[in-house]
Amino acid sequence: MSTPKKILVYIDGTEQSITAAQYAICLAAFYHADLTALYVINTRAMEDLLKARIFLKDEQMEYEHDMEADAERYLNYVNELAVKKGLSIAKKSSRGSVHKEITDLVKDDDIDLLVIGELSRIRSRRDEFYDEAERAMRTVPCSVLVVKDEDKVWEMYESLV
Amino acid sequence: MSLIDLVVEDIVKIPMTSNDKPDVLRELVQTLKDAGQIDDFDAVLQAVQEREDKLSTGLENGIAVPHGKTTAVTSLKLAIGIAPDGIDFDAMDKNPSKLFFLLVAPPDQSGPHVEALAEIAKLGQSKAFCKALVGADDATEVVELLKGE
Repeated sequence: MSTPKKILVYIDGTEQSITAAQYAICLAAFYHADLTALYVINTRAMEDLLKARIFLKDEQMEYEHDMEADAERYLNYVNELAVKKGLSIAKKSSRGSVHKEITDLVKDDDIDLLVIGELSRIRSRRDEFYDEAERAMRTVPCSVLVVKDEDKVWEMYESLV
Repeated sequence: MSLIDLVVEDIVKIPMTSNDKPDVLRELVQTLKDAGQIDDFDAVLQAVQEREDKLSTGLENGIAVPHGKTTAVTSLKLAIGIAPDGIDFDAMDKNPSKLFFLLVAPPDQSGPHVEALAEIAKLGQSKAFCKALVGADDATEVVELLKGE
């Protein structure tokens, strides 16, 4: 049976994505797999907001700066989580459309498994409500693991030696 | 997380009772307070007001998207207000605003904040849908419309 050799975990700063990272760390440790953490600076959404005039130009720059800071903060945090368990991870941040950046990285790096946090429990039929991670789940060519149950995952992570 | 996760009846105010922009912002923030979504009314109002002071978030087609960042919240918060008769919100097309989406987020969750605003922007492009929201009878109907039920 083949096991994942390259795992990618998508981080967006939500608690769900941090739980996904903990689970991904456990998987990487168990399977001796390479682990990459990705944060995408959603410049596509910011351009849409500028066009819609919801954002001012300097506001767009401010949020972009915030997202760059968030990317560094959350990727460093995930790295610390990994280091605590004796693992090293590759930290990557990119800019663009979230689902496209995830899909491109999966293809470029031959990722075997994408790990994402829990998705919205509500499935609206309106096209406007979309979850970028869910869109990535539908478009990536690799298998996808959706992590749930924060408490159980925390226990799993804590018990990892 | 998607914007739809934030849509519950408690955060919908229909019909709004405000007469002008300052009142609208206060009414929407109060909606969040009454729903138990925020504790610090003044901090949240200040955050939204600061953004509004730079340039009105009143867009075309009767939609307004007041928003701001504040440490007074630990996650995204959404309030929806509907004013069928319209309120002067200094909108870019000079028309009264009828549909309000107020969004506040902590400064360290810019990614989800941007995604949620982008979803609102997409919603605003559908004139028919916005008209349906403005014509809703109550908060239950607003939630049902947004969830596509």
